Amino acid sequence: MKVWGMVLGGYPRGRLSRYTLRDAERGRIAGVDRLRGLYASHAELIGVQKAAGLPIVVDGMVDWHDILRPFAQSWRNVSVDGLLRFFDNNFFYRIPVFTGEPDIIEPVLAPRVRDFQLLADPAGLKVVVPGPVTFARLSINKTELDAAELAEKIANALRVEVELAFEAGASMVQVDEPFLSDIDAARDDGVLAAELVNRIISGYEDRSVLAVYFAPPKPEVYDAILEVKARYLALDLVDLRERAVKLVEEKGFGGHVPVLGLIDARRIYDDNIEEGAELATRLAEGDEVVLTTSAWLDLIPYRYSLRKTYLLGRLVEKTAEKTGGEAWTIWR
Amino acid sequence: MEYQVPRKFPTTVVGSYPKLPEAKKALKARRAGEISEEEFRRLVEQAIRGVVEDYLWAGVDIISDGEQSREDMVVYFSEILEGYKPGEWVKIFDNVYFRKPIIVGEVKWTGPMTVDDWRTATKYAQGRPVKGILTGPYTMMEWSFDLHYGDRREVIMELAKVLRREIEALVEAGAKYIQIDEPALSTRPYPEEAEMLKEALEYMVKGIEAKTIVHICFGRIEKILPYILDYPVDQFDLEFKNSDFRLLPYLKEYGYDKELGYGVIDVHTTQVETVEEVKKAIDDLMKLGILPPEKIYIDPDCGLKRLPRQVAKAKLRNMVEAARIAREEY
Repeated sequence: MKVWGMVLGGYPRGRLSRYTLRDAERGRIAGVDRLRGLYASHAELIGVQKAAGLPIVVDGMVDWHDILRPFAQSWRNVSVDGLLRFFDNNFFYRIPVFTGEPDIIEPVLAPRVRDFQLLADPAGLKVVVPGPVTFARLSINKTELDAAELAEKIANALRVEVELAFEAGASMVQVDEPFLSDIDAARDDGVLAAELVNRIISGYEDRSVLAVYFAPPKPEVYDAILEVKARYLALDLVDLRERAVKLVEEKGFGGHVPVLGLIDARRIYDDNIEEGAELATRLAEGDEVVLTTSAWLDLIPYRYSLRKTYLLGRLVEKTAEKTGGEAWTIWR
Repeated sequence: MEYQVPRKFPTTVVGSYPKLPEAKKALKARRAGEISEEEFRRLVEQAIRGVVEDYLWAGVDIISDGEQSREDMVVYFSEILEGYKPGEWVKIFDNVYFRKPIIVGEVKWTGPMTVDDWRTATKYAQGRPVKGILTGPYTMMEWSFDLHYGDRREVIMELAKVLRREIEALVEAGAKYIQIDEPALSTRPYPEEAEMLKEALEYMVKGIEAKTIVHICFGRIEKILPYILDYPVDQFDLEFKNSDFRLLPYLKEYGYDKELGYGVIDVHTTQVETVEEVKKAIDDLMKLGILPPEKIYIDPDCGLKRLPRQVAKAKLRNMVEAARIAREEY
């Protein structure tokens, strides 16, 4: 069995990126110094992931205030408004307000890929987009479109983002749909998400991940999610763990490669690697299993995010040992 | 001098109030190590006095100390309790962060944390009751990191033991209203979460001779409500206005019959609700026919700390006036 790891999403800001953004907001530094500060911050995080033996890395997205913001600010007919709690976190995102169909002014992902793919090499660079259902549900819709139609238009814009990112050299795309684990999510949301994600990743299914986190989805939503054509399916196995494990044991991964969110991304204790590896061994299906963080690492202090990355690498090694498999560390 | 709280639709506040200049100065200077504890207390007393005067001007019946000495509802307690250490930066929004505290040892009560401010507010309250207000164990747990216990239930129960001591201290000082703030609960509206807090509350308020209140706001309150109705408290204080009163029909659906702190003032907008708007909100609740006016406390959705002081005062004044009119009608 091939066992490998990747961090699910973005990182918290360390001192350099915090100060860089603060000084930029106050007009105290030149634009080039802003770029330099952020580039160094991203480069550091890519290095941390490579050092942990992860064959797929993210750039850390430390310049993103929240997962929706860069897209909302790069599309026509979308603005951002007040703050709202981001799911069950003590963290608040700015609400996108759609006044019409989103229209890309400038791509978000492709330039990042061009900036960081050489730094990532020989690891592959993963890009992450917010899923269209989550995006629509977290936004204010002032268009003539209904919620499903708005999600479809968002998916169209994201499709362009993804195509450009792959053209630029991205190795993998991940579509995040945390709303599907929300208590308000219904089967129809899962059906719509699967349909739209399939559209976004069309032609790149083998290099695509659908990620659902913060809690396990309801069984009926999960059934719908299993229709997605992404090769990889990532689930949070930390929050409400008993429910999550039960769900997976009962329903499996529907032929997708499991991406098991076993490193706790929202708490700072050291994860029990032995226990995590045992669970991974129990839940693994087929000839490949991916281990990841339960969510993005951006809601814990910087120092602990580095520690969690290291622990993820250890978990990969331990799981490979337990399954008798191979810990895979080089993307190409 | 005892103040007679109206029997019907008493008005109250959730707790925090815009920081007055004296409080801002006190907090900043103390953090920089520039003032003594005596000087800090002197400045905070001035601030609390100002807050209480605003409440009296507006005519609020049951008041608070305005939480003038608290920088943050979790950090404040964590800095006094034993077992916590200051955390590192965690983002709240945009490029704004707070130091999320970390539990690193057994959590212990080291002495009253809120009683001094409660006494100060009482001193200037002209007999009006002052709520004793503390952050609840669920929220303390959720908005801290834990490196000591490793088990959420254990954390919450240990915090409950500590907070019970604080409640006892407040009641001993004379507090007749004890409010436990649990904003984090509505963010995870699952039965197992509600059950965990219930167990903690049973420990915290058992035998306490005061009116006990749990305040919850800004989340899916309608989702958590059915799981908390049997909590051993007298009152739930809930946010309604900001979520456009969508919670109202659920009160009827779930057979709500405890006292209700009815949030009719949006604390996230500077637009001042008119007397008519607030009165209409009271009418809408009364139309449901589920609670008598004696069980309805009129208040804002949450603490007023993010509003400009003049806006907070104006909102409270209109709220009080609407309650007065409602008292005549019902």
